[in-house]
Order: sequence, then structure tokens, then C-alpha cells
Amino acid sequence: MRLLAALATLLLVVGFATGAFAHAALVAVEPASGSMLASAPKAVELRFNEAVTPGAILLIDGAGRARDDARVSASGETISVALPADLPQGTAVVSYRVISQDGHPVAGSVIFSIGMPTGTQPPATTDGGLNALIWLVRVGLYIGLFVGVGGVFFARWIAWSMTGTAVARVALVVGLPSAVVALGVLGLDLLGLPPAALATVTPWKVASATSAGPAVLIAVTAMLVAMLALRGAWYARALAAIAFVGVGLSLAMTGHAATAPPEMVTRPAIFLHGLGVAFWIGALAPLAALVSKPAAALPVVYRFSRIAVPVVAMLALTGLALAVVQLEKPTALVETRYGLILSIKLALVAALLALAALNRVRLTPALARDEAVAPALKRSILLECLIGLAILAVVAGWRFTPPPRTIVPETPLAIHIHTDKAMFQVLVSPGKAGVDDFVLQLMTGEATPLAAKEVTLTLSLPERGIEPMERDASRGPDGYWHVRKVELPFAGRWHVRIDALVTDFEKITLEDELEVMP
Amino acid sequence: MSKKSCLILIAALAASPASAHVTLETKQAAVGSYYKAVFAVPHGCAGSPTVKIRVQIPEGVIAVKPMPKAGWSVDVVEGKYANEYDYHGNKLSSGVKEVAWSGGKLPDHNYDEFVISSFLTDSLKPNTTLYFPVVQECETGVSRWIEIPAEGAGHSHEGKSPAPGLKLLPKP
Repeated sequence: MRLLAALATLLLVVGFATGAFAHAALVAVEPASGSMLASAPKAVELRFNEAVTPGAILLIDGAGRARDDARVSASGETISVALPADLPQGTAVVSYRVISQDGHPVAGSVIFSIGMPTGTQPPATTDGGLNALIWLVRVGLYIGLFVGVGGVFFARWIAWSMTGTAVARVALVVGLPSAVVALGVLGLDLLGLPPAALATVTPWKVASATSAGPAVLIAVTAMLVAMLALRGAWYARALAAIAFVGVGLSLAMTGHAATAPPEMVTRPAIFLHGLGVAFWIGALAPLAALVSKPAAALPVVYRFSRIAVPVVAMLALTGLALAVVQLEKPTALVETRYGLILSIKLALVAALLALAALNRVRLTPALARDEAVAPALKRSILLECLIGLAILAVVAGWRFTPPPRTIVPETPLAIHIHTDKAMFQVLVSPGKAGVDDFVLQLMTGEATPLAAKEVTLTLSLPERGIEPMERDASRGPDGYWHVRKVELPFAGRWHVRIDALVTDFEKITLEDELEVMP
Repeated sequence: MSKKSCLILIAALAASPASAHVTLETKQAAVGSYYKAVFAVPHGCAGSPTVKIRVQIPEGVIAVKPMPKAGWSVDVVEGKYANEYDYHGNKLSSGVKEVAWSGGKLPDHNYDEFVISSFLTDSLKPNTTLYFPVVQECETGVSRWIEIPAEGAGHSHEGKSPAPGLKLLPKP
């Protein structure tokens, strides 16, 4: 009981210590991405939904050169990039990489054109090799925590025997270096550095300062303590318990889920979920080794089964709570990558549960009657091990997918229409079939603002037989013309026509095509 | 029907005013000559009666005199021309740039004509179309007959409210 109270206190401390709101998302940019400006702005301001730490911020100017004279300053949730005064005409890109409270990098680009658009492209932000390494060490870390620490806990507390702990030992040996490398590659990812930079201090320092730092520290400690618990000392059981709790604590320190609001719920949920997984996955390898000796195995299997039922119920409950927080709506299960990973995981878990039920209801009672069933039970448990590994490999992919709750509308679709008389920049957000908002930025052929009396937007989709629909734009306080809530029922090549009444007798009409995504 | 009469019929059909627009009655005239511009107003703005007609005089058209109209008052807006024009020995550098009839009321179900007398100077390029943008103001709403097709866009690309056009012919 006292242990429980201490645990609860610890969790509360963890929960309160960081007032964070988790995975950061860009909520506003000034100037807006895709905008056309008559002259260079003094600064680009990025506002996020939570406080962020700038990682790597890169400016590419209209001439396509990477500039190192942009000054970055951060205060709370706003990052300001002061631009050099001599920015040439053309399309400039500010690519950013910031560190959000959950320890993950959030990257993106702001594109704007000064005077005229040029073909400047944002730098490629994803490095496939690095991502593969991040994924791999994460799987390694999970194996160390769940198979390793979980296995040691099973041996010390459920089996009361060291049979099958060889697997746990190997898992710990895999997990320890994985945890360390995980911190290093996180630093690389945060700063956008090449792997060679692992030899320098910077990525390690940056990564340690994030919430991943203490999480890795606890994970490493837990795995070291579990190694000690493998030795047969009188305090080995206590060590195994401490290591076991460490698994939950480490997971509750960082990541999308642990830092999702309300943290009072999500952090304890992650903690319990982690303990449950370690209990279940950790038991599989030793169980598979044990069933070869049915006489010794049966009491262990019974003990395990008794605890396993409430553990599975708790896993389901905490998992459900976390899914509700992260997904926000059930359709996200299939519509987002995060949701798809969860769907695959749930399918694998269902298979795992089916096997577990088979073992419990059919094979275990059969083993009690007839030892010849042992190989069948062993095969079934080994299959469970494989599925367990597959689940770990799948959930490690969450590192690369923002949870649906943090997904904000993407950079709007932009088209630029240019004639001698005028140039119009059209921003469509979200730029997909459905309901869209249009922002029309009107300029003369010389890139000075074009004063218009009235502006109308006409849209048609001839390929689907949609006749021109005309909407009046209204002038916003930002000086741009806005048409809100335009129904674009289908994806496809829409024809866009903008009529700007310049004087009573003169109208400038520009037309173009707009590729609307489904 | 003979081939010839068939062609004449087609030509006649093609020449007949596009019913729903404000148009010029006489659709071609030679440069360096007087031109009586008759603007035909076939309807109001989406059913609402017409209360004002404003015509913009294009550059190169001088000696503009609107014909008064019973029940309407006529106003002109004068301004500087872009160029200087020779008119009966006088150099003209300014004159009427806009003509407006107002104060009347032309119901949607009636038809009326608004007339301007003018001179087409030599500076206008023959074999092009000269446009007279018209703004039709109604009790509710405005129709702007001001669309001028982009050069080379051709006839297929006619907007939905084109400005009345006049085909300029070479000086006889």
C-alpha cells in the first residue's frame, strides 16, 4: 500500500512538473505561407500552439541561396526569424524544425514571394536513413524494456525460477545501447544534422534537454537494475520491481501520448499501459521455455493467467482512453497514418488475445491432463512472442506520425496568375474537396497593391458538369479579398476566374486552373 | 433555297444583336467619319428597372454630343485626351470622356435607345474593334457591360457581359 502511495505521488509530480501541451503544431504564420509581397518583410513570425524550442531554422532566398544571416529569436510559443535587409526578389523559403514538449521535432516550411514568384523549393526535410535508424533503436528500446525488464520481473515475481531468462538477458543487452543511440539520433533529428555529428556534443545536449532526456535516463536505469536483478541476490525481487516500475515511468515521461492533455489522465494511463505490456510481453519468452517441463510449468501458468486477466482489462481500458484522446474521432482510425498504425496494432492485439484465450481455455487445461500437449502450447506461445514483436515494431512507427488531435490544416493550396496588367495570388485552404476558404491577393503588373472596387470569384468544373458559380469577395482588414466557405463538391481541375473591378468601366479578369485534391 | 440566300441568312442571323446585352445598333463604321452611336438597352438588371446609363467614350472618339431624351437628364464628364486630335483645323486635347443619362425609369419589360453623335478620328486603327463600356444602373443592382476580350482571344471567348463593340473599317 505504501508503495502504491509513493507511486501515485511520483506520477503526480511527473504530471505536474511539465505544464506542456504536447505535440506542437503551427497555428499562424506572418506573412502567410504562399503569399505575394510587394517588398521583403522584416521578419517571419511562426506561432505554435505551445511553447517550442527552435532547432534548425533555414532561410533560402529568392535567388535560391541558403542564407546564414537570418536571426532567430524565440519567446514562448512564438519564433521570430528576422530577415536580412538585402533579400532579393523571388520566392523565399523559411524551413523550420522546432522541438515540441513531447520531445519530437516538428518541421515545415513557410514560402512567400517578394515581387514575383520563382521556383525556390523548400529543402527535403525527411532523411529516410535517419528515420529507419530512429525506428530501429526505438524497437530495440521497446524490446529491452518489455522483453528484458518484463522478463526479469516475470522470473522474479511470477515464475520464481530463472528458466527462460536468457532471452531477457539478450533483450537487455539490445535495449541498453538502443536507448543511448535513441537519444543521439533524436538530437540529430531535432537539429537536422548528418549522422557524423553524433561524434559532437551538440545533438546529445539538445536531446537531453528535451523530455526524452529523463525518459532515456530512467529506461537505462531500469534496464541496468533489471540486469542486477538477474543475479541471485536476496534483494533481486526488489530490484526487479523497481526496474518494472521504471518501464512505466520512462514511457510516461515523453512521447505523443504522455504529453497529451489532460495529462492527469494520459500520463498515469501510459504508465499503467506500459506496466501491463511489460507484464504480458515479458512473460511470453520465459513461459515458452517453461512449458517444456509441464510439471513445473503448470503452477506458474496458473499464477500468470490469474493476474493476466485483470492486466488485459487494464491494458484495454488505458489503451481506449489514450486512443480517445489522441484520435478525437473514430474516422481518424482509417483517415490518418496515426490511426492506421493503431488499427494495425489493434488487429495484432486481437490475434494475440485470441491465442491467449486459446492457451488459457483449451491448451492449459489440456496440459494438466496430458503432457503431450506441451509442444502445441509452446508453439502457440512462440507465435504470441512473434505477434508481440510485430506490435512493438508497429507502434515504434508512431514516432513519425503526429496524432490526429494535433493535425492542423496544412499550408493552403496556392496559385499565381500573372499577366501584364496584374498578378493575382490565390490561396485556397485547405485546398481539398469540401468547404474551402479563398484569399485573393491582388497586385498590379508592377507588384504594387491593386485597388479594386469589387472582386468576384467564379469557379467551375467542366469535367464534372459544374457550371460557373459566382461568389463576391469581401475585403478583409488585411487588405486581401476573402471568399469564405466555398463548396467545392469534387476534386479535379477547377477553372478559377477572378474579376476585379478597378474603375466603374474597367475590369481586370484573370483565369487559371486549380488542382483540387480529394 | 440557293446557296447565296442561305449565306445571307446566316450572315443576318450572326449580325443580329445578341438579345440580352446592351449593344450598338450600327456595328461598323469607317475611321475618319462621323458615327451615330445608338445604344440599345433591351432589359433592366435582373428584372429591376433601369435608372441610369453611363457610357465611357474610348480614346480617339471626339466631338461627342449626346442626344437629349425626354424624361431623362443627360450629363457629360469632360477630361483630357491622351493625344491631341485635329478636328476641322482645331487642335482638340480635351473633351467628353463619359456620357450619363439619369433621372428616368426604363421598366424591365420595355426597350429603349440612347444616342450619341461622335467623330471617329483617323488615329483609330481600322479592322479592330472599338469598345464603348456601359454601366447600367438600376433601382436594385448594377449591370456592367464592360468586358473587353483579350487581344487574339477570338469570338468564342465572349464574356457574359461584353462591352458594346464597333468594328472599325478603313477610311473610304
